[in-house]
Amino acid sequence: MVAQLQQGSETAFRTLVERYQDRIYRTVLALLRSPEEAEDVAQEVFVEVYQTISRFRGEAALTTWLYRLATSRALKQQRRARARKRFAYLTSLLGFDNRVLYEPADNDHPQAQLEGRQQVEVLRAHIARLPDQQQVAFTLRHEQELSYEEIAAVLSTTVSAVESLLFRARKTLRHHLQPTLRHV
Amino acid sequence: MSDSSTRPNADEEWENLLHQWQTEVAVPPRPYFYGRVHARLVNATGAKHPPLRTWRHWPAYAVMLGILLLLSGDDAGLHAVSGVQESNHQPEASFSGE
Repeated sequence: MVAQLQQGSETAFRTLVERYQDRIYRTVLALLRSPEEAEDVAQEVFVEVYQTISRFRGEAALTTWLYRLATSRALKQQRRARARKRFAYLTSLLGFDNRVLYEPADNDHPQAQLEGRQQVEVLRAHIARLPDQQQVAFTLRHEQELSYEEIAAVLSTTVSAVESLLFRARKTLRHHLQPTLRHV
Repeated sequence: MSDSSTRPNADEEWENLLHQWQTEVAVPPRPYFYGRVHARLVNATGAKHPPLRTWRHWPAYAVMLGILLLLSGDDAGLHAVSGVQESNHQPEASFSGE
């Protein structure tokens, strides 16, 4: 398939998109929380694949390369969104735009957290606050159910480093979520 | 108040929460995803090419302009050149004419 893609075959590209679209979209959605942003980033990933496939030398598996592109683009989008949020907050402080002052906080009333959906939202908010590599490792392990070896390949690191990343991510998340869980 | 004897332990609660999260993000993209990717790719490719094509057209435009000037009925192209020469000689002509 890679050879066909490198020759510019549209059929091969269509096959690639249809084969991987669910995995890429879900990975990005798990990191971004917004379906619109996830769709946008997933599209960008496939466009980048088409445009740069000639440089793909096959050192990594195609799947690994796709996950690498998807997670790095999703994290980039996340940083952009954070910067926008900070800018909006600053402008609201200066009185240019008061709407942001009334934006709901990540953690609503404790009673509302009893709802399963709210709890998931809290979990997602805490995942987004993890360091980049922990976010990626956690998402690939628990959402995509990738093996430690596969995650290590995506992150260009060792299996023991992945174990450490996952241990720290779980520990942080459980520490933050424990009070919420105890209320159930 | 919840009964602690019937409440699942922290590990179980954690696993349940993870399961809920997995279920929530386990959604496929909207239908016709490939169509949208393809449209985006066409746009991206189209946006890259016009400046290159414009560059290619510039010499052709210059040649066409030259031909138009030379072939125009009032010899505008030649006058443009000779006009410069005449204006250089004009002070002498006017002097000899007086």
